[in-house]
Amino acid sequence: MALEKGRISNFQLSVLIIGFVFGSSVIISPGGKGAGHDAWIACAIGLMEGLLIAWIFTALTKQFKDKTIMEINSLVYGKILGKGISLLFIWYLFHLSALVLTNYTHFFKLQIYPATPNTVTLLLLILVCASTVGRGIEVLARLSIILVPIIILVVFSDTLLLIPHIDFNNLMPVLDVPSGKLLLASHGAASFPFAETVAFLMVLAFVDKPEKAPSAVFGGLLIVGFMLIMAVARNAAVLGPMAEITIYPTYLAAQVIDIGDILTRLQVLVAISLITMGFIKITVLLYGTVLGLAQVFNLHSYRPIILPVGILMVIFALTNVGNTQEMVDFAEQGYPFYAIPFQIGIPLITLVVAKLRKLPQTGGDQV
Amino acid sequence: MIALLLIGFGMVALIQIPGLVRKQWWRELSFFMVLWFMGLILSVMVSIGITLPPISSIINKSLTGILGL
Repeated sequence: MALEKGRISNFQLSVLIIGFVFGSSVIISPGGKGAGHDAWIACAIGLMEGLLIAWIFTALTKQFKDKTIMEINSLVYGKILGKGISLLFIWYLFHLSALVLTNYTHFFKLQIYPATPNTVTLLLLILVCASTVGRGIEVLARLSIILVPIIILVVFSDTLLLIPHIDFNNLMPVLDVPSGKLLLASHGAASFPFAETVAFLMVLAFVDKPEKAPSAVFGGLLIVGFMLIMAVARNAAVLGPMAEITIYPTYLAAQVIDIGDILTRLQVLVAISLITMGFIKITVLLYGTVLGLAQVFNLHSYRPIILPVGILMVIFALTNVGNTQEMVDFAEQGYPFYAIPFQIGIPLITLVVAKLRKLPQTGGDQV
Repeated sequence: MIALLLIGFGMVALIQIPGLVRKQWWRELSFFMVLWFMGLILSVMVSIGITLPPISSIINKSLTGILGL
C-alpha cells in the first residue's frame, strides 16, 4: 500500500527547494560567521559544495526511481542494517526540524514577541505544519508556488530599497580572509542550508517525471543560491563589520530602510519571510520524519503519528540548546561537522554500495 | 499548566485513537501510543521545571572537543 499517492511536478520541486533553502537562512546569513566581509564568497563556494552533494543524492534517486531513501537503504544494505541507517537519517530530519524551530522561536523571542512564551509560538507553527503534512506533499507543493514568489519579491525589494545605504568599501579588500578560514566558512554555508536539501531524498520519489528531477533540484539550488549570495553581500555592504557580529543581519539591514520617512520598519517583511519559509522547511522535514518512520515500521499510514512527532519536535526545540548563544555556537562550530555523515556519508556510501552490488537488479531482487 | 497539557494530549488521543481502533490498525495504534506517551512524559517534565539535557549543546561540546575547534 502506497503511503503517499500524491505527485508533484518538477517545477513544484524547484520552488519547494527554493522555499526549503530559504528556510531560516532568510534571516541568518549562510557563511556569515568567520569569513567577515568575504561571506558572499564563502556562500558562493558553499553553493558549489551543495551542488556536488545534490549531484550525489539525485544520482541515487535516479538509480532507484520512485523509492525514498528508506526503501533504498533496505534494498542496498538488507532489512536490519538498512533500517538502522534509515533510523539515523530520520534522526537527522527530526533534529534539523527541531533546530529550525529553535531558530524560529529564538528570533521571535528576541525581536518580535518578547513577552509571548516560546511554547505558544512553537505550538501554533507546528499545528499548521502538521495540518499541511496530513494533506500530503501535493498540497505543500501547491502552497509553495504561492508563497515562494512573494518572498523572492520581498528579497529583491529589500535589496533595491537598500541601494542608497550600500557602501562597497565594506566589501573591500576582497579575499582578505585566510584561505583556511574561508574554506571552513564555505563548508558552513554548504552544510547550512544548501546540503540540507538531502532531506528531499524523502520527496524525490514523488516527482512525476523522475528523470528530470536532478535538473529541477539544481535549478532550484542555483536560483536560491544566487539570491542568498546577493543577500549576504548586501548585508555586508550595508552593515559593514556589524553583519558578522549580529545574529540576524538581514533583519538588522531591513531596519535601515527609510524612504522619505514613509517606507520604514520594513523589517516586518523579513519576519514574514521567516514565518512562511520556515513553515515550508519544517513541513518538509516533518513530512520526511513521519513518512520515514511509517516506512521503517511498516505502518499503513503516516498520518496517525504526525501530531505526536510534531509535539516531540516542539519539546526538543524547547530543550535542545540552553540559550541563543549556544544555538549560534552549534550552528557555527559543531553543525558543519555533525551534518557530514547525514548530508554526504549516507547518500555517497549508499550510492557506491549500490553500484558495487549492481543494484537495482531488474529481476526478483526489486521491492 | 499540567491540566492544560492533559487536556491537549487528551484531545490528540481522542482525535486519533477511535479511527485507528475502527480500522483495526493495531500496529499504528501501538506506535502512536508510544510516541504520545513519550510526548506526555517529556512535556510534564518540562512544565514542572525539570531541565532536559540540551542535546545540541552536548553534541557541540563533544565535537569541538574532539576536533579541537
